[in-house]
Amino acid sequence: MFNPDFNDYQLTSIITECCGGVAVVYSALYKPSNQNVAIKRYFVDKTKENASLIQQDILTRKELQHANILPYLTSFVHGRELYVVSPLMTFGSCRDILDRYFHEGLPELACAIVLRDVLQALQYLHKQLYIHRSVRASHVLVGANGGVRLSGLRSAASLVLRGRRQRHLHQLPPPDHDNTNLMWLSPELLEQVHTQPQLCAASLVLRGRRQRHLHQLPPPDHNNTNLMWLSPELLEQNLKGYDEKSDIYSVGVLCCELGNGAVPFAEVPSTLMLTEKVRGSRPQLLDCSTFPEPCLDDTEMKSMYNTDSGVGDSADAVCRLRALYAARKLSDTFHHLSELALQRDPDKRPSATQLLNHPFFKQIRKTDYLPGLIGRVKPIKPDPNDMSALLLQEKLSEMEIEKTTEWDF
Amino acid sequence: MDPRMCRKISSSESLPDVENEEYEVSTIIAPQESDENFMLDGSPEPHSVTWLDNDQIDDLNLDDQTNLCFHRVDSADIIYRSKKKKCKMVGKYVMGDVLGEGSYGKVKEMLDSETLCRRAVKILKKRKLRRIPNGEQNVQREIQLLRILRHKNVIELVDVMYNDEKQKMYLVMEFCVGVLQDMLEASPGKKFPQRQAHDYFTQLLDGLEYLHGQGVVHKDIKPGNLLLTLDQKLKITDFGVAEALDMFSPEDTCYTGQGSPAFQPPEIANGAEQFSGVKVDIWSSGVTLYNMTTGRYPFEGDNVYRLLESIGRGEPAPPPAALGPALGQLLTNMLKRDPDLRPTVHEIRKHSWVQARPALEAGERLVSPRSRRSDELHTSTVIPYLVERHYPSAQDYFTERDLRHELGDGGSRTLSTAELSDAASSRRKRRWHSSCGRLPSCRLT
Repeated sequence: MFNPDFNDYQLTSIITECCGGVAVVYSALYKPSNQNVAIKRYFVDKTKENASLIQQDILTRKELQHANILPYLTSFVHGRELYVVSPLMTFGSCRDILDRYFHEGLPELACAIVLRDVLQALQYLHKQLYIHRSVRASHVLVGANGGVRLSGLRSAASLVLRGRRQRHLHQLPPPDHDNTNLMWLSPELLEQVHTQPQLCAASLVLRGRRQRHLHQLPPPDHNNTNLMWLSPELLEQNLKGYDEKSDIYSVGVLCCELGNGAVPFAEVPSTLMLTEKVRGSRPQLLDCSTFPEPCLDDTEMKSMYNTDSGVGDSADAVCRLRALYAARKLSDTFHHLSELALQRDPDKRPSATQLLNHPFFKQIRKTDYLPGLIGRVKPIKPDPNDMSALLLQEKLSEMEIEKTTEWDF
Repeated sequence: MDPRMCRKISSSESLPDVENEEYEVSTIIAPQESDENFMLDGSPEPHSVTWLDNDQIDDLNLDDQTNLCFHRVDSADIIYRSKKKKCKMVGKYVMGDVLGEGSYGKVKEMLDSETLCRRAVKILKKRKLRRIPNGEQNVQREIQLLRILRHKNVIELVDVMYNDEKQKMYLVMEFCVGVLQDMLEASPGKKFPQRQAHDYFTQLLDGLEYLHGQGVVHKDIKPGNLLLTLDQKLKITDFGVAEALDMFSPEDTCYTGQGSPAFQPPEIANGAEQFSGVKVDIWSSGVTLYNMTTGRYPFEGDNVYRLLESIGRGEPAPPPAALGPALGQLLTNMLKRDPDLRPTVHEIRKHSWVQARPALEAGERLVSPRSRRSDELHTSTVIPYLVERHYPSAQDYFTERDLRHELGDGGSRTLSTAELSDAASSRRKRRWHSSCGRLPSCRLT
């Protein structure tokens, strides 16, 4: 249906850089049918090791077909780069939406719709004997009509190995170099990146912890952003291994991520995150019922922030978030759902199918429309600035080609 | 204070594997009630405590006649302190417990603090290496080879670190749960069911095929050099005596052999000046398969000389008929005295025993990787160190009375070190939970 030919596509804007600078996602126009698509452009040269992962991603997506999984349209090689075409998800990833518009988390009904669709995708994946292994907001994309699709299948693993069904897996998913939060191109987004650590720090204080870990914040572009969502049994790497229930744990973390805006455990060193998970502590949705007694009064905290972070206005943002969390009340079923999913013992966690029957999802009416619930979010549009940059880029690459042709020996 | 109390604690020194006890009770406090007999530090104030470690307890002169008076000590006054798991970092890795020990140094577990991936590290001490013939040379060759090799059945060298000050080298490798050798030793009859041996042998063939394709001869294939990962993947390890063949030579001639005697082919046992390297690996794999399926060796001898003599002169003990004709034939072929008659990896692959996966016979049970510790799941040993690092208040003190109470013991018998450490670790576990409860954002499951 879509031609694997570069000339049939007109790049219109840059959506994001991902996979640690190895790939860039563009929005593009498919000229023959005038359809908007997303194109992921991999600089395969930069990544020898990841080539098999890209292949894995494509093969898996070719095999799978579900309304809530990002489909694969086509792929082709142009120049030295690999292009993979997918439908354009106009509202971007849930992580983008949280970072740009909903620092305190999505409205509960929006969370419900997103989580339901993610669980439907997982229900299907698990039936096909796949474990997704990187369920997180940056892999949950929202389309123009409010359709939610799960992406990030490059770290998915099949339970079928050499034709035999495995009961458990033991390997960690491939290290993830995904920095989908980093959008280098527009300054307002760059600002988001800089405020990100403070946002994380906010939850540090909220959780009633001493700020001792503040200086140990992982750098925003650190490589293993995936670890926070992984289940304790997966991280433990012992003989027991893990199974599809590991994804359910990640759904639990996703619950908190969507509900709170901040990623649980993002502010602590990975090793502490590991011990916390192994010892059975679990993240929570933050509202008046779970919000801890403030350990410091506001002014004291403010002053600590001013001295610690050196960024004055962040303290205000922190206070504002704290107040927001303390004032709101999330439904008991939402809390219950996240608690069910985050149980330490994988056998006690319900399956995706069982979770879909959870009363939390009963609040969704047929007329509920996700884009309406997140009305603030602006869809991705062709950007004239990007366009000129792209044109320049293309011209440059043409010039390079001319140069090479000039060399006549 | 009762001198016997000291002896009892100090006896922990002689117990095997004491290093791997999760919580070793290393110290006792001598209460200062009425006398100064055991005042090692000579601190005279009352109500102060003196910490004795195992060495000091050993050094106590209990035969000294002046110490013969026995003092009654309340069990609540004997205080234990669990051994601190001091968290140590090497580069970005957190050190765990010892997995094994060799002549060159120790192998320890590690955790990559960035990816949280479990790793194993071979710690090489220059001082010890110098004492081993060709030690430093072998290590260098091993590093060179492992840097190039990449295959699912060959151990992966992840990182190499040096500490010039301590004269130590760290080879960071993939984490494995067990060595086939250890598993064999722990299994009934010191052998595997054919089904399990077949699984390992085919993986060994995959690895060998790759190595030989890369022009590398291992020369020391044996169960002791075959490791298993968590998901039962076989990994060929220890390339200390391996050799990279000349890429431009059609021959695979080697001149030196330094592998383990029981797995050496006749040509090396007889001291041949040059021999086919690839066929050495075939022979050793044959002996390995023989050993895995029968629990015995095709050649045996009281000492290395006798053993080499019988390999050099004699015929291998014929495979027992119980193995079945297919496997018997395969073993006979692989253990041909004439290297030219031994099959290649490719030919072995086509053999009927390799082609068909044997069924697990009634009464046979798969052997699971043996653990040095009592932990069957092979849980990371790094966690307690991390706990020490992140929760510094976890230091535990407890008394003899607590322990006895906990063990439901009337106090009539002497506690073994294992019991002490079990009790200590269970106390520690409970402490963990309570500290979790203090985090407002985290609830217990």
